[in-house]
Amino acid sequence: MSNLRQTLYHALLWLISLLFFSPVAWLMLSSFKGRNDILAVPAKLVFTPTLDNYVQLFERNGFLQQLLNSFIMSVAAVIVAVVVSFLAAFCFSRFKPKGTDFLMFLLLSVRMLPGTAVILPVYLMYVAFGWKDSHAALTLFYAMFSIPFSVWILKGFIDGVSLRFDETGLVNGASWWHVIFRVVLPQVRPGLIAAFIFNMIFVWNEFLFDYIIGGRKTANVPVALATGAYADGGVDWAFVSTLSTVYLLPPIIAIYVFQRYLLVGMTFGTVRGEV
Amino acid sequence: MPDIRLDAITRRFGQQVAVDNLSMTFDEWTVTCLLGPSGCGKTTLMRMIAGLETPTSGRIFFGEREVTHLPPRKRNIGMVFQYPVMYPTLTVRENIALPLDNNAGLDAKTCQARIDEVLNILQLGAVANRYIDQLDAGTRQKVAVARAVARQTDIILFDEPTTNVEVNAKLQLVRAFKEVAQRMRQTIIYVTHDQTEAMTLADQIALMRSGAIVQCDKPRALYNHPTTEFGGWFLGSPGMNFITAAVKGGRIEAPLFPAPIAAPSGIAEGEITLGLRPEALRLQAAPGAGTVPAVIEDISITIGGRYLFRLGIGGISVKVKHAGGAVSGLEMRRGATAHLECPPAQIAFFLKGQRVAAAAG
Repeated sequence: MSNLRQTLYHALLWLISLLFFSPVAWLMLSSFKGRNDILAVPAKLVFTPTLDNYVQLFERNGFLQQLLNSFIMSVAAVIVAVVVSFLAAFCFSRFKPKGTDFLMFLLLSVRMLPGTAVILPVYLMYVAFGWKDSHAALTLFYAMFSIPFSVWILKGFIDGVSLRFDETGLVNGASWWHVIFRVVLPQVRPGLIAAFIFNMIFVWNEFLFDYIIGGRKTANVPVALATGAYADGGVDWAFVSTLSTVYLLPPIIAIYVFQRYLLVGMTFGTVRGEV
Repeated sequence: MPDIRLDAITRRFGQQVAVDNLSMTFDEWTVTCLLGPSGCGKTTLMRMIAGLETPTSGRIFFGEREVTHLPPRKRNIGMVFQYPVMYPTLTVRENIALPLDNNAGLDAKTCQARIDEVLNILQLGAVANRYIDQLDAGTRQKVAVARAVARQTDIILFDEPTTNVEVNAKLQLVRAFKEVAQRMRQTIIYVTHDQTEAMTLADQIALMRSGAIVQCDKPRALYNHPTTEFGGWFLGSPGMNFITAAVKGGRIEAPLFPAPIAAPSGIAEGEITLGLRPEALRLQAAPGAGTVPAVIEDISITIGGRYLFRLGIGGISVKVKHAGGAVSGLEMRRGATAHLECPPAQIAFFLKGQRVAAAAG
């Protein structure tokens, strides 16, 4: 390909990327604008930046609690999910219990269910158990929702670890515990990280269940965004833009740091390594 | 130190029977080679002894202890596979030490002493502090052996450990195994399809076919006195010549003999199979007592400069291995006529695949 053509392609790609990124950029820039600058027509690109919106956001009643809720529930749910999924995937991969294929199919199809389809029975169940607005109960639900996908990812990775590793360990006096955590686990670390990040993003973005089976005490950032967006008879753009920026940062940082593993996770199962 | 006793072991995979109702005892402190063609069940048998497979039926004993349903870790065994698997981030010494460290009953001093001992026996001292990636396949396999041996288990199992090693390293490795077998008092079972290896290493060879042990004997005895046609065919390079002949009035007629020879006693009239080792047949240029003329169909040279002939005699074809250089006075070309002598004492007689009697003398 000639140099000129390549430059043109790159320019085109950049243009498209910027076009798609522009709303996000507008949102992020808005968070540093004063109230009058945000809705100015035409949009102001040059303005005096201010941190007032951020100060107001963090002083807002309950915001820190909501941010903390998001963090704690996503991390806790994903840790539970990854631990359970890793052990389940190991079992499916190595012991192949009867009906493994069917169970794996069932797991995937459960994951395909839209949340709205299950929200009513889940709501009734949680109310009956007295679990509404409880951190532990919501965490449990998110973990349950994250497990199927994690089992799928991790089974692919564990299948890729040759049985020779297990057998060599076993005949040299290792226990199953040693084989699982010291021999197999280190080899599927990219899978664990991929499963962790993917599920983390799912729980981090979750709105519906937190809104319905959560409550004031357990509200997360998406719920805070939805309930706080309207103020004084209109959309509070300063609040929306500031909160969204704060909300966007952790996933962006996480993806940047772990992008290598995410690529592995997306192509999992397509390349199998042999010793 | 226990022996290994198998009591009517069967292992099925679906419809396929890998090991079929096999009973056998492997004596303590001996090296037994399980020898047989691919798919004869030797690896499955070994995996059951290791505890990596559970028999469909039957029991396994180590000494007086029944181990049929114990996990490998509780059986006090060591095993070396075709492909050595090691921690690439650890050095040779650390890899050997790891299973020992996990054994709570050992103090650090004993561990070090054991490691030094195996490093010494297997001549791995020079690479003790290298990483596994820096070693060739043969040396890696030696490290795997060292790791298994250092644990000083009662039983060590080898599953075709030289398959993926190149020829020169293979010889060294086999020599190292022999050294280990002599220095360590352990009951060793060694699976292989390479008969030279089996002959070199084994105190006894168990010849397997279709899930059963056909014959178990000392290497030389197995070679000289195969009890089945299969044994005669499988051992030796090439294996026995088999010739079908007719028994008439207590005598056997075949184109190999100038005159009918005496049949072994108790053989009925009918067909019999004669088994002849290619190296037992003698070839000469001039006719002599007991020779028959034969036409050379093919000549090739095998290991050690031995000539391998294929000769045609009255419609049958036999392989003859001739030690030492060319046959004196013989025209070494296809189509030439040679004279073949078949000493009756060297003939094995088979009926329906089973050996019936030794030579009549």
